[in-house]
Amino acid sequence: MTLLDLLWLLPLAGAVVLWALGPQLGRASGALGSATVLASFVCALLLFGAATAPTPLQQTLLAWIPGFTFGLLFDPLSLLWTLIITGVGGLIHVYSIGYMWSDKAIARFFAYMNFFVFAMLTLVLSDNVVGLLVGWGLVGLASYFLIGFWFYKPSAVAAAKKAFVINVFGDMGIMYAVFALYAATGSIAFADIFGKAGTFSSATLIAICLALFLGAAAKSAQVPLHTWLPDAMEGPTPVSALIHAATMVTAGVYLVARFAPLYSLTPTVQEIVGIIGALTMVLGAILGIAQWDIKRILAYSTMSQIGYMIMGVGVGAYQAGVLHFFTHAFFKAQLFLTAGIIIHALHDEQDVRKMGGLRERMPFAFWAMLIGTLAIIGFPLTSGFYSKDAVIYGALEHGQPVLYFAGVLTAGVTDYYMFRMMFLTFFGPYRGEVPNDQLAIATPEGAAHAEAHAASHPPAWLMQLPVAVLIVPTIVAGYVSVSFGSGPSPWTRFFGTSFSVANSVAGPVLPIAEWVSSTIVLLVVACGIVAAYLRYGSPAVQGAAIERLRSEATGMPAPLARAFWFDDAIEVALVRPAQALGAAIDRFFDPHVIDAGVRDVAWLAGALGALFRMLQTGLVRGYALTIVLGAAAFIAYFATLGALR
Amino acid sequence: MTVDVVNYVSLSAVVFFIGVAGVVVRRNPLIMLMSIELMLNAANLALVAFSRAWVNNAGHVFVFLVITVAAAEAAIGLAIVVAVFRNARTVDVDEVARLRG
Repeated sequence: MTLLDLLWLLPLAGAVVLWALGPQLGRASGALGSATVLASFVCALLLFGAATAPTPLQQTLLAWIPGFTFGLLFDPLSLLWTLIITGVGGLIHVYSIGYMWSDKAIARFFAYMNFFVFAMLTLVLSDNVVGLLVGWGLVGLASYFLIGFWFYKPSAVAAAKKAFVINVFGDMGIMYAVFALYAATGSIAFADIFGKAGTFSSATLIAICLALFLGAAAKSAQVPLHTWLPDAMEGPTPVSALIHAATMVTAGVYLVARFAPLYSLTPTVQEIVGIIGALTMVLGAILGIAQWDIKRILAYSTMSQIGYMIMGVGVGAYQAGVLHFFTHAFFKAQLFLTAGIIIHALHDEQDVRKMGGLRERMPFAFWAMLIGTLAIIGFPLTSGFYSKDAVIYGALEHGQPVLYFAGVLTAGVTDYYMFRMMFLTFFGPYRGEVPNDQLAIATPEGAAHAEAHAASHPPAWLMQLPVAVLIVPTIVAGYVSVSFGSGPSPWTRFFGTSFSVANSVAGPVLPIAEWVSSTIVLLVVACGIVAAYLRYGSPAVQGAAIERLRSEATGMPAPLARAFWFDDAIEVALVRPAQALGAAIDRFFDPHVIDAGVRDVAWLAGALGALFRMLQTGLVRGYALTIVLGAAAFIAYFATLGALR
Repeated sequence: MTVDVVNYVSLSAVVFFIGVAGVVVRRNPLIMLMSIELMLNAANLALVAFSRAWVNNAGHVFVFLVITVAAAEAAIGLAIVVAVFRNARTVDVDEVARLRG
């Protein structure tokens, strides 16, 4: 049992124990669940040197048949993801002890969370495509479990199903790619595949890369497979933080980064990836400005930020895209966890229209959220500043000026919706007591208070400590990409030759320096903040908050209110035909073909029986005659046979 | 003078078919049993005739076995007839068609 095995299997052990003994453990399950994940984090730290060595750590688990060896690979890319999964994941587990304090199914929650960590680790630690596929499927399953955790809520169940179905649709792509890669190389191991990548025909490469991206698009909520992510906010907030912000949705980014040797050989697919990433980036930001649920704002924000990452790795700026994953994991998790603190304190109120003025009531949440917001908008000296600018400038470096401008503009929209959220949540009068219809809220009064509060409350530090811990990397994580001195930055040195064929410039490039680009972005961001302030933040506006919110809610333009009709389009194009097909089968095929078939088989048995019953006369003489005739026929046959010979 | 074996076999065939006719046509179980005995003895006749013709004692031995089996079978058959009569109170085979499907 090596350290790597331990790293990988501890969360699984935790999940199994929690599933088996959960009801007996009660709240202690939180401690156990957190302990396994944090222990894995420690293992990852201990293996840091081994992973960044010139030959990364590789361990074969099972050599089955030639070409089918399963093993674990611990190179810089998987190390990075592992550190985030177990580190941020461990902090979120600790936070969940507080968040799920009064939930009766707390043990089941931690079992699922540990299972998710195990599945995600399987995904990033596999050294072969089949193991990756297994992990891919298992995280989808874990996501289904966790989104639908409160399974007595129909909306949660529907959201879980939606997420799972859309993910399975993407899984088709990965499966095809796995089959195609095996057919082309005779092996499932990354090493063999990347070694033979040069021998693939252009058509094969394009097909495989597109298929892989289909899976990545589904898992990472890229347009048009993004519709499941906002609905996934039905799950508990720690779930949203871990799965739908920091880790699972970044699996697509991991996939493209891992398959960089293949993607670098297909500029066509790279362009498609970049465009879809940019499209998602823009769409997520635009839709973020129209949301009223604090978690949905963050969900669309996640979608947009992952669009940044995908755009980054799509154009070939792998280090930039992965850097943004790194920083985003910290500040997005921290934003979600802080939102959870607010939701918990307001007794499950999630609508920002009913918040306001929380700056004085919850100073910790305010400052935490402010720091997170500054990071996500790319405020100078925060981590987001470095990673966002790296991605945006990377688009320019790799010859994609259109995507560059999309990135710059989206930065402006990003800070607009983030500060909208900040102003509505923390400034102005508190609107929690305002009746729902005055704010144009559709849900009935008291629906948000369904979970009546138990007598015991969690100690505040359980939820505040993880947030406080996350604030530090939210600010400083970006510094690893800065090269102090003449050599390459620690970030570049960390990755070494991981993306060996990356960072090649293709196409014309606008000749502006990086600092000029950063300044342009900052100017756009400043405009966004001013716009948000004028619309939501200024004292004059705050005074008339209720009326303004009501008019905004009722006057929301149709494209924003219907999320550009993606859900409606899928409903009309896929869901309704499927339901109609099901209804038709239920009405015609089932009773008249299936049931009829079974009935007819029974009828046939009866009919044959009736036929043969006619032989059973009960008359001995009749039987004797039958014997005689049969014997006669027998003898006649053999007599003629003999006579003919 | 030696009689040709053909004559014996033809006699055996005729007796056999008389027996068959008796089993199929008659309704009295005792008559049916007698017809069955006729068939068996017809077979015996054929066996002995051939055995004499090819000078092979196997036929004679086989006849002994057949006679034994025929005797046993007749005994059991009569026992069945008695049991059936006790239950059905008739010896008309056509009346005892209780195994009709």
